[in-house]
Amino acid sequence: MAEPVRVIHYLNQFFGGIGGEEQANVPVQAREGPVGPGRALQQALGVEGTVVATLIGGDNYVVEEQDKSVQALEEALARFKPDVLMAGPAFDAGRYGLACALMCQASQEGGVPAVAAMHPENTGVLTLRRELVVVPTGSEAVEMMDGISRMAPVGLTLARGQELGPALDDGYLPRGFRRQVMREKSGAERAIDMLESRLTGAPFVSEVFRRDFDLVAAPPPVSDLATATLALVNSGGLVPKGNPDRLESGRTTEVAHKYSIEGVEEFTIDDWECIHTGFYSGVVNERDTNYVLPLRSVRQMESRGAIGRILPYFYSTAGNGMAVTAARNIGETIAPELKDAGVDAVLLVAT
Amino acid sequence: MAQISAVPMIPMSVGMHRVVRGISVEHVCGEPELSIERDHELMMRITETAVKALETEVDKPTLFEPSEAPSQEAVHAS
Repeated sequence: MAEPVRVIHYLNQFFGGIGGEEQANVPVQAREGPVGPGRALQQALGVEGTVVATLIGGDNYVVEEQDKSVQALEEALARFKPDVLMAGPAFDAGRYGLACALMCQASQEGGVPAVAAMHPENTGVLTLRRELVVVPTGSEAVEMMDGISRMAPVGLTLARGQELGPALDDGYLPRGFRRQVMREKSGAERAIDMLESRLTGAPFVSEVFRRDFDLVAAPPPVSDLATATLALVNSGGLVPKGNPDRLESGRTTEVAHKYSIEGVEEFTIDDWECIHTGFYSGVVNERDTNYVLPLRSVRQMESRGAIGRILPYFYSTAGNGMAVTAARNIGETIAPELKDAGVDAVLLVAT
Repeated sequence: MAQISAVPMIPMSVGMHRVVRGISVEHVCGEPELSIERDHELMMRITETAVKALETEVDKPTLFEPSEAPSQEAVHAS
């Protein structure tokens, strides 16, 4: 039997056992052997593969320090000589998903094939879909085993230098490549079969996939902010201190909340706070709440006439593990309200 | 609409047209390592860049860099 393939597994600081959001700034570091979910990955690989090392990176660190993170990955490739990099599962965690995508991309550029596991709407997929092999997962970590058992066979195929089959057959997300293949039936026959299935209510799978996220045309610029009404929106979970109407702090199921800023010159730490559970370090709540919405600066610009008027209330939500459908719902609710209020421009702060 | 973001790749990947680079995920519009006075100046530069972005014609996701931003080392030393 062939030698087991050598696998490096990438995890974030949470799944890598270093810590939660308070450790999101830790640099990328290597450990020998599997860690955390890597043990399940090792089981899924069985005798066919060995997790020789685990690379662990902080969620903030990797997306903010991409060059240094790529360098750490290159060092690990040189040291452990893997046949494949496997990253995640990252589920619907945006920074983690993007980190997995960046690590996979760098690994491929270093000559080592890579596969990641995450939710199809994860920003890591949206950013680098054509470049990467990604197996889909659900949004919750309870689907860890399922994600790992899908990722392992795809990783083994890549590690052996074998061609992957079509995306839907081999269980990864379509990258948008078209290949010539011979089918048993001609296109005309398949179309008739599909039509027949549709008319009789039988299941069928389309052969054409549409892009399923919206592309919006760029709105024209505002000619002069000095005569415009500006609205403020944030996804940092900024609320009056104590969160009196209980804005949800993550995985939002509700629309954005509105809070009055009439006569408010800045967000003081005594009267306002940020309840986004990702802002663990508390620097926003200890130092300056305006970090998540720069009211102080826009008020000063309003005073000196650079901004015409600021809408007397702002919108707040916590963009923490937020599903695309929830975000779309919030946007669709806010947009007509802003139009009715005569708003010309919106400033959004969202990490 | 203009968005201030510490990780511009994310909004730009989903088609946000006017993106202003913020400082860090944990403090998007400022830098707690600076003195209060310089921190306020930095926040003003970021906000002015967002206003400039709103007044600029774009046809695709475009990144606006705040002027005279402190160097990367000073911004995020950890």
